[in-house]
Amino acid sequence: QVSVLYFARSVELAGLRCETLSVPRQITSLQLWEEIVKVHPRLAVIRDQVVFAVRQEYVLIGDQLLVLQPGDEVAIIPPISGG
Amino acid sequence: MEEGKDVPKDFIKLKSEKLSVDEVSELVVSPYCGAVSLFIGTTRNNFEGKKVIHLEYEAYPSMAETEIKKICRDVRQKWPSVKHIAVHRRLGVVPVTEASVIIAVSSPHRAEALEAVIYCINTLKASAPIWKK
Repeated sequence: QVSVLYFARSVELAGLRCETLSVPRQITSLQLWEEIVKVHPRLAVIRDQVVFAVRQEYVLIGDQLLVLQPGDEVAIIPPISGG
Repeated sequence: MEEGKDVPKDFIKLKSEKLSVDEVSELVVSPYCGAVSLFIGTTRNNFEGKKVIHLEYEAYPSMAETEIKKICRDVRQKWPSVKHIAVHRRLGVVPVTEASVIIAVSSPHRAEALEAVIYCINTLKASAPIWKK
């Protein structure tokens, strides 16, 4: 069970700012994205613009294997603006 | 408490209240430093051809702080003589001409402080999870 945090445009598309999600402990970042899109299909439109932050480290959506612990924070990070 | 050697410190704050240039520059002043370099980022009255009255910022606060700490670490690696670094970032609504970010760096001589401030603001804009709404 991880905490998923939404920011910026992803908040509008998902309709919420955070939630808990059950996902496999070992999962690629692409698989994680697909799990999230299953719950919030409207997020699919920003697939090419977002990255993840897993335990506050940026992770690209792709082959990277994640080893998740219960309570880990996963954030959807749209393109940053305003720094 | 011993006044002594003035241990290098990083001062990082994210807040919704108005930022203070006096406060931030006072944080980094040091008797060992002859230079304090300051950057103030303010809300401009236009953006992409549209008139702006204020900007509103949203952040992933814990990660923004982590990223700023990384920036401070990088600064100290690149410019070891840098003494103190302060980064104050305002979140929420920032009206035109008010400051959304103030960065201050102190060093014995001016070159390092000036260069470090440029690095800080550029890297902050590129890597901190903060968004304009």
